[in-house]
Amino acid sequence: MIRLQRGAVYNSLIAEMRPFLPGFSRRSLPSLLLLWFSLISASFATDWLSPEQELARKIAAATGPGAVALDVVNRSSLDKKDADEISHGLRTQLEALGVRTVKPQQAAATVEVSLSENLQSYVWLAEIHQGSNDFSVVMISTPRLSAPAFVVEAAPLSIRKIPLWVQEERILDVAVLEETTTVSHIAVLDPEKVALYRFSNGRWQQEQALSISHARSWPRDMRGRLVLRQDHLLDVYLPGVFCQSSGDVPLSLSCRESDDPWPLSSLVPLAGFFAPTRNFFTGVLSPGIGKQASTAKFYSAAPLPRPNYTLWIFAGIDGQAHLLDGVTEQTAHLNWGSDLASVTSSCGSGSQVLATRAGDESRDAVRAYEFPDREPVAASEPVEFGGGITALWTEAKGGTAIAVSRNAETGNYEAFRLAVACGQ
Amino acid sequence: MRLSGWQWLAVSSIVLSAMAWAETRPQYGATLRTATNIALVSLDPAAQPDSVAKRNLIRLMFETLVTMDDRGKLRPALATSWQAAPGNQRWQFWIRRGVKFHDGSPLTPEAVAAALRAANPDWNVSPAADSVIIEQNVSDSDLPAWLARPRNAITKRSEGGTLIGTGPFHTRDWQPGKKLALAANESYWGGRPYLDAIEIELGKASRDQLLGLDLGKADVAEVDPEQAHRASTEGRHVMTSAPVELMALMFTRDRQTAAEGKLREALALSIDRSSIRNVMLQGAGEPSGGILPNWISGYGFVFGNGQNLDRARELRSEVPRAPAQTLAYDAADPLARVIAERVVLNARDAGISLQTTTSGASDLRLVRLPLASLNPRVALVAIAAAANLTAPKFTGTSAEDLYQGESGILRAQRIISLFQLPVSYALSPAVKDWNQDRDGSEHLEDVWMGSKP
Repeated sequence: MIRLQRGAVYNSLIAEMRPFLPGFSRRSLPSLLLLWFSLISASFATDWLSPEQELARKIAAATGPGAVALDVVNRSSLDKKDADEISHGLRTQLEALGVRTVKPQQAAATVEVSLSENLQSYVWLAEIHQGSNDFSVVMISTPRLSAPAFVVEAAPLSIRKIPLWVQEERILDVAVLEETTTVSHIAVLDPEKVALYRFSNGRWQQEQALSISHARSWPRDMRGRLVLRQDHLLDVYLPGVFCQSSGDVPLSLSCRESDDPWPLSSLVPLAGFFAPTRNFFTGVLSPGIGKQASTAKFYSAAPLPRPNYTLWIFAGIDGQAHLLDGVTEQTAHLNWGSDLASVTSSCGSGSQVLATRAGDESRDAVRAYEFPDREPVAASEPVEFGGGITALWTEAKGGTAIAVSRNAETGNYEAFRLAVACGQ
Repeated sequence: MRLSGWQWLAVSSIVLSAMAWAETRPQYGATLRTATNIALVSLDPAAQPDSVAKRNLIRLMFETLVTMDDRGKLRPALATSWQAAPGNQRWQFWIRRGVKFHDGSPLTPEAVAAALRAANPDWNVSPAADSVIIEQNVSDSDLPAWLARPRNAITKRSEGGTLIGTGPFHTRDWQPGKKLALAANESYWGGRPYLDAIEIELGKASRDQLLGLDLGKADVAEVDPEQAHRASTEGRHVMTSAPVELMALMFTRDRQTAAEGKLREALALSIDRSSIRNVMLQGAGEPSGGILPNWISGYGFVFGNGQNLDRARELRSEVPRAPAQTLAYDAADPLARVIAERVVLNARDAGISLQTTTSGASDLRLVRLPLASLNPRVALVAIAAAANLTAPKFTGTSAEDLYQGESGILRAQRIISLFQLPVSYALSPAVKDWNQDRDGSEHLEDVWMGSKP
């Protein structure tokens, strides 16, 4: 093994790069990415001063002090407000360097500034014409920033979408561990770890990261579930693997190969066996619904309490909904996607099914439905997401659900808490 | 008119009963049938010629140590991490554990080192306990980006002499130039692909591919740039990349005299790229005066590409005895033929004597050069190497350094850029989760087949 000096790492932004600075690790990256709460409330103002100064210096070095005609053209995704702000800032910086901007007929040089961009940076360049043939180009680049966009929908019976977490790695599930008026302590499950984060001193900080050991490779379209427990903090259900945390801080996580069934609800004792190399449940249920011990292979399930029984709705991989009540099984064609979760609320009948949208559009949506009988009735407008839903699980208390979507623009996974609110 | 809540609910219920449930989670199984117009005769990732289509085939079977995402950021693949020693001449890549070749043998640092040495004889590659070390004589901060190129995929000869990899699919039937059949790698470290198999016809013209798609005999068809708009308006589902292929005129020798330089400049100014794009390319692609597409460099528009016939004639008149020149093009490429003919007509308008040829030696060639990387420096160096141009010299890693490198190549007047062309595919409605990067890279390991609407 050769000896390599610390500090020589090529690109510290790469999630899997080896840590090279004391105290820095890839586990801190989500925290850096994710000062999400502050992004939601704060405007996403960008400081253009530094690149303005840098470009102005380069222009001034080419033209020297004097009068120039300046034109700024926006060829990038920057909006007009930012472009105008940059144009104004650039003129100010040029003035400070002794370069006055005047009308073309009064100018010794013309400077056409283009605000352009490439994959990772804004590229601002100035084409400078002096005399009849003297032409030069100077440019600077500055990293592109993109702000996540959140849309909170309003509807008769509405779904509130509360941002919880965002990270580059796939989020399989999020469990809220503590909350008062706001969420302050969460567990985030990704394919390789359970990470615990606490909101403290105005920012999210990682408390602990518990690695998930597994011998076999994970299936594509990986799924997983966090289940909070009374006697210890949580259990983790993954394809072919089960992990249990300790109860004391600092936590530890013990994982083993297992085909134990996954809990399908925290309120109704029913579990389903998950195919360890696929993305669906096998259809075998434990302990079963009444006399029914199995159904078709399914992606997700949602219970709806009835006065004397529970109606279970399964999103089958055959594209049909399977409705089981302990005695009969009905199938139905509904315009839903493959992820379902049920929530309890103080609205309507008191329980609704949240279902993803059908089809393969890049942007997904979740809508609430009620089942007066065996036919669903839409109970809310769809709440839109910035990409496809990759996970939808009912939370422990049953009143809310966790939805994870992969943002089609950023590629990041975004976790939300979904709650049904009454009225507009 | 805005519906009240209850009116809206009533409408929703009616709509619900009329629509079918469409799946959204991926389904396992099925065979994807596709074709490509390249007649691939070797599965060796390092074999020439390079093309977007070939890279996509290679990626199905073979993997690199690192990959690049859609924004050009490096991602771990067969290497989980990497580190450079000061000076960026010595790099260490830690190999992912538990990865197996298609014959079941483990991926080892020795196998990785052997593959990289074979593809890059100039590199000093040595295996370590759980890593490989690459040493070069020069500093190279872009080495990981070079390793992300499919030509640096990790390969191994099986006992039967077949080239095998670690990718999501393994070879089931390989008939060079005719057919490639692949099956899912059940133990793929990234998760078994959804598709059971992929069948690829090789050397099939795009027109025939579209016919196969329309007849339900294929699921994916390549679409020529000039056909993409029409294919879309005829109701097909067409996916198009960003412009990723440079179409250019290449001079076969360096400029010898100042007069020759004037003639080359006159030729560049005589070409009406806008008209060619509107008519021959049916609006596809982008006229280009630079080598890299603007979306990669951010400054590509600075290199002018407009026609200036007056200036072209003026330059031509300054060279009294200009020799007649020949322009070669690929006879198997119908788009190349019509564009070459139009270039000849434009040149004649400027008084330049140019005629097309498809055989023998020529003064110029019409070429297509695929974008080699989403790293602009790697892309520029790779294009220069592919076109036999002098490698650009970079003094740093800034946008301005890149611009200086590209300007230097253009000033040498060996290449006249014409267009940046995209790649397009038409898809059957049954093809789901078709993820295509802006550089045209496919991710068939994520594709699955659903029911047709």
